[in-house]
Amino acid sequence: MEWTGLSPDDAREKLEQKDKSKRDKRMSLTEAVKEFVKDGDHVGVGGFVNSRPPVAIAHEIIRQGRQDLSLAFQSAGLVPDYLMGAMAIRPDHLSISRLEFAYVGHEYAGTSSMLRYMTENNKIVIEDWTNYNMSTRFKAGSMGLPFLPTRSGLSGDIEKCNRSQYIKCPFTDRDILLVPACHPDVGIIHVQEADIYGNCRIKGQTFTCPEMAMASKNVIVTCEKLVEHDVIATEPTRTSIPYFAVDAVVELPFGSFPGLCHDIHYYGKTHLEYYKGLTNGFRKGVVEPLREYFDKYVFGVKDTDGFIGLMPYEQLKYARQVESRSLHLQQGLQDPGA
Amino acid sequence: MTEYANDFSEYATDFSASEMIVTAGARQLENKKVIFAGTGLPMVGITLAQLTHGPDIIPVFEGGAVGPTLNRSLPLSVGDSRTTSKANFIQGLNSSFELTQRGFIDVGFIGGAEVDPYGNLNSTMIGNFPENYMNPDVRLPGSGGAGDMSCSCTYTILIVQHELRRFVEELQYMTSPGHLDGSPDARKNAGLQGKGPRRVITTKALMGFDDETKRMKILATMPGETVESVQAATGFELLVDENLYEFEPPTKEEIRLIREDIDPTQIYCKR
Repeated sequence: MEWTGLSPDDAREKLEQKDKSKRDKRMSLTEAVKEFVKDGDHVGVGGFVNSRPPVAIAHEIIRQGRQDLSLAFQSAGLVPDYLMGAMAIRPDHLSISRLEFAYVGHEYAGTSSMLRYMTENNKIVIEDWTNYNMSTRFKAGSMGLPFLPTRSGLSGDIEKCNRSQYIKCPFTDRDILLVPACHPDVGIIHVQEADIYGNCRIKGQTFTCPEMAMASKNVIVTCEKLVEHDVIATEPTRTSIPYFAVDAVVELPFGSFPGLCHDIHYYGKTHLEYYKGLTNGFRKGVVEPLREYFDKYVFGVKDTDGFIGLMPYEQLKYARQVESRSLHLQQGLQDPGA
Repeated sequence: MTEYANDFSEYATDFSASEMIVTAGARQLENKKVIFAGTGLPMVGITLAQLTHGPDIIPVFEGGAVGPTLNRSLPLSVGDSRTTSKANFIQGLNSSFELTQRGFIDVGFIGGAEVDPYGNLNSTMIGNFPENYMNPDVRLPGSGGAGDMSCSCTYTILIVQHELRRFVEELQYMTSPGHLDGSPDARKNAGLQGKGPRRVITTKALMGFDDETKRMKILATMPGETVESVQAATGFELLVDENLYEFEPPTKEEIRLIREDIDPTQIYCKR
């Protein structure tokens, strides 16, 4: 078996050696990416499609530049599209060599032109799974098991493109699929709330973030809001990720924009669709607008403050106002992009 | 309120293809069942069913929400915060698919770029498989949760655009297993659970599957279509049910609900 990321034995060994102390883990995103994302790393991407995507972390990885990264996730849109977009523009600066995934796209906003560009031009190695397969792989990793059995992703062609294995169940005598654990070198996750030690509270759907955090060698967390440790300690059943799984805590409001962050803001639809449109153009040979986008919004700014600072206030305001409201209360709000 | 809020006495005369599909989808759903829905028209269909004959339908979305009410406008994603409004239970993807694997999900709505006579679907790639897997002619988004729903929901309803190039005798890649090769117990022997595809809904026909051969058959033609016109848009031979009928068009009330209450800004139901 060729493990991508860490093998189960290596993952166990690294965790035994890790400093699990309860210490202040606040740092800048620049420092966090510098310390925990290395060339050749297997990167677990948190969130789900464009919900709570770790956009700010992806932008920082792009700014710093890395080679030969591989990405693992169930379904994602903006993060792989930003990373693959940067690779398309400046392959000498940033390169993604491999994707392990179930879906790359934007659901309502359409398919991923960057996935099409990279695969149809044979620039990237891919391994297809289902959403549950990938979620189970992170879960196996989080449980300290080398694999888990599943009844998903079998009997079609998906199992022929990946490292899953059939066995005859020793108890029922029926075929069942085993999927190998996924232990990323680094998990990148955006949450609503965290304390200085790394205890995280996820609001709404957790997607596969807790499992990914527990399976990864290192974890970078960006949070909308840093909360007092007392907030965590008074209701610890609401902690989604415990502090000793986390290595860096960065308070970054709008850290998943133009994705959605549950209860904080809705999609930045105008900007999301704008970027998506540039990638569509790139695939069809219109290269410059995408290059100009990266020059302005990613390379041209120092950090997330700079990126969000370029967003018109009306777009941020609308994304905040439209989130978590009934249709009735949304009436009268004006989408600035419409 | 009467048990059936939908007044079938007045059919709409002005409706779009997507409104027809949504109406057909809604009418296939039984009240009090648990429905796993993907992004798009299934979300409209579930809501329409809830507002007509199925007020106690229980939606489940793969991001992790169980039993919500879609009262914050239509979600743009199955991980959208709008799928969690008034939900009974929220976890994550593992939880949603464990529910599916365990048998809590009665119906899954899935789609694909290609479908074969046995209801197997392709949403991964166009090109030669396995030779050109790494550099296909056209790369599609991939399974997402469709490959999971197709494996473990009690049954599935497929929504596919009815075009010759999409209804094919042989798929270029099988993402979501249906009745596989149609042989008896094919799904069980392959390690799958659930009974596989039950319905296929298109702009041209409502279809089911033959009990014995598991091949697709026309149950009803959509308004304005005939068996011949449906067959002409299909790349394999369709069976025809002995009780073939013409599908009832959307009622005025169904169209009013879609346009005024469910999808007023035409996110999914174009007019």
